[in-house]
Amino acid sequence: MNQQILALVLIIFLLARLLWQKKRKKIQGGEFVFWLIFWSFSGLAIVFIKYIDSLVSRLGFSSQGIDVLLYLGVVFLFYLIFKIRLRQEKLDQDITKITRAISLKDKK
Amino acid sequence: MAEKIFCIIPAYNEGGNISSVIKSVGKYVDEVVVVDDGSGDQTGRIAQAERVVVLRHIINRGQGAALETGDQYAKKKQADIVVHFDADGQFSPDEIDRVIAPIKNGQADIVFGSRFLGQANNMPWLKKQVIFPLARMISKLFWRVNLSDPQSGFRAFNKKILDRLRIENDGSAHCSEIIIKAFALNIKIKEVPITVSYNNFGQSIFGGKGRGMGGVQIIRDLIISKIIN
Repeated sequence: MNQQILALVLIIFLLARLLWQKKRKKIQGGEFVFWLIFWSFSGLAIVFIKYIDSLVSRLGFSSQGIDVLLYLGVVFLFYLIFKIRLRQEKLDQDITKITRAISLKDKK
Repeated sequence: MAEKIFCIIPAYNEGGNISSVIKSVGKYVDEVVVVDDGSGDQTGRIAQAERVVVLRHIINRGQGAALETGDQYAKKKQADIVVHFDADGQFSPDEIDRVIAPIKNGQADIVFGSRFLGQANNMPWLKKQVIFPLARMISKLFWRVNLSDPQSGFRAFNKKILDRLRIENDGSAHCSEIIIKAFALNIKIKEVPITVSYNNFGQSIFGGKGRGMGGVQIIRDLIISKIIN
């Protein structure tokens, strides 16, 4: 129970930070909605952890609901790292294009 | 009409070699283009003193990026044959004629210099036994491309390739990229033996001189470009 309260406090803090960032226009609309949904679902998952426990056991997993959430969290983190890596690659390509355009500009 | 031959030399902190490389290459080609890839030393200034075209990247972008910059310049200047040549003085300029000969006589659209076709060279053990076998394996596994030297920087190609092939890998993975794209274009490809004299060991498994130069980075870049493209 204490763990659930702690997790909920953390999620409320992160949601508050998110709203604060939105208010200060430090986060884009799409990203705000994504994180709002993500943290809201995380909060609901914590509140209804018993239902997730029974759902997980009905699906045939031997571990508890919280463990499954943790595994899903790790998978999600790997996915985010992959997305960031691709975005970084795209930025790298754009920087190269700009560098190239500058170097060729004076050699017409 | 005589063909216009351009030699593209990507250079990163090669102040000690660039002057002699330009001088030695100059007699085999019509125009030498040095791409100073954000060097922190006097590479660009020394090259300019040799009265060749110098294109300057304001920041280091890697050998592949520098070659693509040179290629775009050569295309703009309507080059007929383009030669890629390293700035570290490890290639033999007198082999340029041999590399471009199959293009001149119509036997090939692109020619790759190979360090594994009989010419003697003092290749470091790590490259010979680890980096190149690994690069060959990856090229075969992912792209079904089979050439003896997957990482040779000494190559030449004609206008057809210049128009159709874009180098997208900024680092050293461009070597494999060019080979893969050449095979996909279904053109005439030839390998010729070249000699390489290793005066220093500028590339290792985890890093090298400039961006994206280590063996691991090459493999990583190839896999990422496979996912992106």
